[in-house]
Amino acid sequence: MKREITLRVNNKDEVIVIDDADTLLEVLRDRLKLWSVRESCGVGACGSCTVLLDGRPASSCFLLAARTTGHDIVTLEGLGDGAELHYIQEAFVSQRALQCAYCTPGFILSVKALLDETPEPSDEEIREYLAGNLCRCAGYADILRAVRVAQDKKKSLAFKE
Amino acid sequence: MTIRSFDLLQPRSLAEAITLLVQHGEDARAIGGGTTLIILMKQRALQYRYLVDLQSIPGLNQISKEPEGVRIGALATHRSVELSPVIREALPVVAEAFSRVGNVRVRQTASVGGNLAHADYRLDPPPALLILGAEISAMGPNGARKIPLKDFFRGMYETALEPGELLVDVKIPSMPAKSKAVYLRYSAMSANDWPCLGVAAMVTRENGRCKELRLALGGVAATPVLVNGLTFVKDQLLDEDVMQQILAVVDEQISPFSDLRGSEWYKRQMTQVFIRRAIAQLDSQLIEG
Ligand SMILES: Cc1cc2nc3c(=O)[nH]c(=O)nc-3n(C[C@H](O)[C@H](O)[C@H](O)COP(=O)(O)OP(=O)(O)OC[C@H]3O[C@@H](n4cnc5c(N)ncnc54)[C@H](O)[C@@H]3O)c2cc1C
Ligand code: FES
Ligand code: FES
Repeated sequence: MKREITLRVNNKDEVIVIDDADTLLEVLRDRLKLWSVRESCGVGACGSCTVLLDGRPASSCFLLAARTTGHDIVTLEGLGDGAELHYIQEAFVSQRALQCAYCTPGFILSVKALLDETPEPSDEEIREYLAGNLCRCAGYADILRAVRVAQDKKKSLAFKE
Repeated sequence: MTIRSFDLLQPRSLAEAITLLVQHGEDARAIGGGTTLIILMKQRALQYRYLVDLQSIPGLNQISKEPEGVRIGALATHRSVELSPVIREALPVVAEAFSRVGNVRVRQTASVGGNLAHADYRLDPPPALLILGAEISAMGPNGARKIPLKDFFRGMYETALEPGELLVDVKIPSMPAKSKAVYLRYSAMSANDWPCLGVAAMVTRENGRCKELRLALGGVAATPVLVNGLTFVKDQLLDEDVMQQILAVVDEQISPFSDLRGSEWYKRQMTQVFIRRAIAQLDSQLIEG
């Protein structure tokens, strides 16, 4: 069935006509042109399609867009202000935690959710939280270091406020 | 659009959802978190003309403490169970079992009812719920009824639910006094892969001896298995003799099949290894005497 829905994406209301069978991934990429949301496994296992739904990580490949109305959806495009990189992005760059960067948007959103939920995670907690994000080229050690750099930055920003 | 077009029906009450499911029969399916259903529909392994959205029914995601246990609504997410202070305090083994499912995104979306109704033989939560004697409340065209979880799983992806019947909540009794429980899962592949097998164990002790042992297993038969016939451990120490008897009883009640996570032989061996580990972790004193 076709229906008109309002999606709240990156703090903006988007009114679009979708089919009930459309996944959120399809709507974000094909309709809203948010290319940071990427499909890889298509079955919830790899994390490249990660978005934040009310601040929590979700796989947009297994969500129906029609069921995400009324929720706050954030994609990587919603993190920075378009001019400057978000500090988690910066941390990934400075720690060389990316190569092809296909997986990076998913990782960055997951790290944001992790640090919002647990500001001072243990190594074990970081590994557990990110276990479902797969990277096939950069190497996880760099990513784990980037999390610590982002964590410190977040703390110092909070301190300034 | 990868999934063949369907109508998403959004009832506001259980009664309305049941009416819709009865009205559309085989053309309709209930959707909880959708983590399994949507993937199977994308792969076109399943196809429906109507999905009945259980998330649109208010009040089904509560987790509440009751005089003799905890009640978890069918739409509570795995993540909410894992993080619930009530469950972590009263039934830590349940929090542990749900925390082992897939990855954080799956747990954030998947519902407790969807997990049990899916009835995959490898699911992590059922063994932990089985040793605790969990009971399901269901509601269908013929009214409400209770189904002990041990009678719920009927076969591979088959449950005791009748057409049009929905899982409403699961009630988990409190742990008996002086008991401890643990859930161990063994993944033969990557850490967040489905388990090769899972073992839940509960030991109750009395006067320095074993009063009761309960074991339940996932991944080693077409359904999760609650092991029967362990009453002989009463008043025993769990020494090597008794352990051998326990393992023999278990070996008779499982029927693992070979797949990419291990051969039948391998799964039988690993079942023994993990039962030993689970019991050792719970009460090494009972083993050593
Ligand atoms: C990437 C990935 C990894 C996974 N890894 C694991 C793992 O390691 N361990 C593990 O245990 N599980 C794992 N799973 C499976 C996961 O546990 C299930 O997908 C999930 O529990 C299903 O819940 P849901 O609410 O999403 O169900 P849905 O997909 O909504 O539904 C599943 C089935 O249950 C039915 N149903 C749903 N709710 C009800 C209800 N209230 N009453 C009656 N019928 C209902 C539906 O009609 C459907 O047939 C994994 C899944 C994914 C996608
Ligand atoms: S594409 Fe969604 S998790 Fe892999
Ligand atoms: S940087 Fe290439 S997959 Fe992660």
